[in-house]
Amino acid sequence: MPERMTMSYESEIRDTLDRIGRENGHIRSFSYFTACAWQWFDPEQRKTVKPAVAVLGPGVPGELILAAGAAPYYILGGSLKSGAWSEDLVPRDTDPVSRSVLGFLQDPEGPDYSGTLFIVPVTSDSMRKTAYLLREQGRNVHIVDVPPQRSDFFAREKWQAQMIAMTEAVSRHTRTRVTAARVRSAIETADCAAKALREFLSASCGREDLITGGARLLVQNSYYYTGDLSRWTAELRRLNEELRSRRKRFVPGGGSRPGILLMGSPVYFPNYKIPFLIQDIGLNVLRNIDVTTLKDQIRPVLPGKRRSRDTLIRMAADRWYDQDGSPAYAANDALYRSVVRCLKQDRIEGVVYHVLKGQIEYDFELERLEALFDRYGIPVFRLETDYQYQDVEQLRIRMEAFSEMLHQNRYREERMAQ
Amino acid sequence: MNTQTVSPREQRQKDRFISKASQTAAKYLRRMEELSGAPESMVPFFRVLRDIYVDGKDVSREDGVKTVGTYCVMAPHELIYAAGAIPVKLCSGSYTAFSIGDDLAPRDACPLVKAVAGFQQIGVMPLYDNCALMVLPITCDCKKKLAGYLAERCEVCTLQIPVSKEDEDIEQYVRELYQFLGVLEETTGNRVTYDSLADAMKKTGYAQFELSRFLRLKKSLPYLLRGTHIMAMMNAASYMPADEWGRQLHLVNRELEQRISRNETVTRRQLPRILLTGSPIIFPNIKIPLLIEEMCGILAADETCMGERGMSDPVVPVDQSFDGLMRSLAIRATRPCSCPTFADNRQRIFRLKQMIRDYQIEGVIYHVLRGCLVYDFEYRQIEEALGELGIPVIRLESDYNEEDVEQLRIRIEAFIELIKLKKPPEVRRTERDYYG
Repeated sequence: MPERMTMSYESEIRDTLDRIGRENGHIRSFSYFTACAWQWFDPEQRKTVKPAVAVLGPGVPGELILAAGAAPYYILGGSLKSGAWSEDLVPRDTDPVSRSVLGFLQDPEGPDYSGTLFIVPVTSDSMRKTAYLLREQGRNVHIVDVPPQRSDFFAREKWQAQMIAMTEAVSRHTRTRVTAARVRSAIETADCAAKALREFLSASCGREDLITGGARLLVQNSYYYTGDLSRWTAELRRLNEELRSRRKRFVPGGGSRPGILLMGSPVYFPNYKIPFLIQDIGLNVLRNIDVTTLKDQIRPVLPGKRRSRDTLIRMAADRWYDQDGSPAYAANDALYRSVVRCLKQDRIEGVVYHVLKGQIEYDFELERLEALFDRYGIPVFRLETDYQYQDVEQLRIRMEAFSEMLHQNRYREERMAQ
Repeated sequence: MNTQTVSPREQRQKDRFISKASQTAAKYLRRMEELSGAPESMVPFFRVLRDIYVDGKDVSREDGVKTVGTYCVMAPHELIYAAGAIPVKLCSGSYTAFSIGDDLAPRDACPLVKAVAGFQQIGVMPLYDNCALMVLPITCDCKKKLAGYLAERCEVCTLQIPVSKEDEDIEQYVRELYQFLGVLEETTGNRVTYDSLADAMKKTGYAQFELSRFLRLKKSLPYLLRGTHIMAMMNAASYMPADEWGRQLHLVNRELEQRISRNETVTRRQLPRILLTGSPIIFPNIKIPLLIEEMCGILAADETCMGERGMSDPVVPVDQSFDGLMRSLAIRATRPCSCPTFADNRQRIFRLKQMIRDYQIEGVIYHVLRGCLVYDFEYRQIEEALGELGIPVIRLESDYNEEDVEQLRIRIEAFIELIKLKKPPEVRRTERDYYG
């Protein structure tokens, strides 16, 4: 890789981390999460990594991989520069996330993937063909076929079978026997993490003065960059504790900012241009809902001691299938339900619907969601972008106009209330 | 039929739609018919396309017989026949429907999906409106989301296409077909029995037998027939019962045999032999085959799902039980299929190489419909594989409109010129052929 490219790759990550660090330097327990992200992306540290199991995207329950003896090494994308490394392999219209994911795998100075089992959940066409490219390159690939029709009578059964097959594939690869105890322990670890995440989201919701939107996203993203989920959970608990104590001590600031819901294509570190833009404009991201954030909605399964290994795997698979908000489904009901819940819980004044170029599934889903927002009288702003930074000023102008409209709406409501 | 009352404005819109859609279809039909070398026995195929697209008729069927629309060749038509219904392929190439669908589907969705959405919205095509059920094998993101879109408007049954072709994947597809069978029985009110399934397989088997004869004849004498005419024939299969299509193809085969005996070809010149692969070519979006042949090339073969790939592989039941028949259908739909929906699709490269050898291909046109990512992804591998054989490949990206025709014409012309330059100069042995 040319040195210049490595430098710009590094600066992309540093710039994002620096800004988040600057804005949230007052939070003592936050440094772990920036370190987590840096560790994953740092070119020097990446060289030393030898992942046993890599997962492309967030599309499978990590606890099952954990139960089979490996900490999942998630490759989510998010980097503009890594996208450039796969330029020759993918068609022009490929979405930036898939480009970036594939780019990370092409980095000759990146992790040593020689002994890696790649788990590829087929959530989109790009993932389907990425699996093909990886196989062509001689990599060890296990494909997870996501049943696209949730209303299908056998969909759940098919998904369970896929998850059992995946667990067995990882178990063969790591040469670790998957026992009921191991699955139970992994589920408990994941449940603790989900619970801590729920607490974090509730503690930080609407409190941009305590923790910025970018930092919130980084914490959520860092779930995928940690190699030690138990440590991550412990650190998040510490952060939650600190945020709770700050909540008590400081009265809410920035209350005059309209609260918005950010949803659509996932925002992955380091490309935080949209949350940063929203913050700069003076809007407050109350919630962000995407394929990664529904993890906090996953409820514990109460894995009783008498349950067999396969029963536990099926339970973990089931709850994932119910909550998965990826666009892999003909009708993305989990995402829809989550949005409805959010509209009922929070005072959402506007929606920023983020679509990354090439991720047309999100665009297809917009029609149904627009009808929902229309019922609630909430304006929607569809924002299409990619990982380039050239369109920031255009987006800023459009976003400012949207923000202006939200302020006007609020002003009108107040007048009417008077 | 759409029985909702329509406002005068909507009615005017519908009338404009019908007029524009039928004009476009008539224009392309005329261009196909005017192209030299069409066998006389091809007339029924042109007539079917005219009936559906120009005159806006439904498929011909007996009273009480339902039609089931399919959106991919991986939905076995045998099951639909066995349930006493008639299958029709609903994938469309209509530019007019595309322009309606353009406002409904996301900008980057493929034109095929936009055209389907357009037809569904406008509700003037009896072919779409009269379908008792629509079957959507989920082969790509657009089809997946189309399933969600259509489910809100009509009866839809989805088929999950496995990503791989391992034994367990086939098993899953067998289960999928059993589910489909249940839906079909419910829709038609007819029970699918061993006999009805076997009869349906005979019906499609006959059509496949005639198609295999046709392909053999085509291979035996280069320049026997124009690819555009074959496209018309294959497209007509979407709207004709399999046995009827087979009977008409039998007549074409007879005529071709006579041509072979007289050593009669559509041209006496050694025109560059082109293979068309990639996104499907669906009537009336027939501009690329027409351009190839109007620019003095010969479309010698195609590797597209609306062409030979869709029908050429026969069903081979090994086990003669009902379950055996179902398994053979599942295997036929998946194992020989070189659709890029399968994660590992090296099979397509083998098939292309085989076709290049069989049809003495000199150049490959790789057709990508805008937004059809799965085909676009495979272009690189195919370009590399064919580069090793010294076969030139050109990637043509197109949409469902006529705005890009001149650009495509220039590129196709240049590609054909390039192939001609590679060949030794042609020695004219006969009088000048003004029609070739």
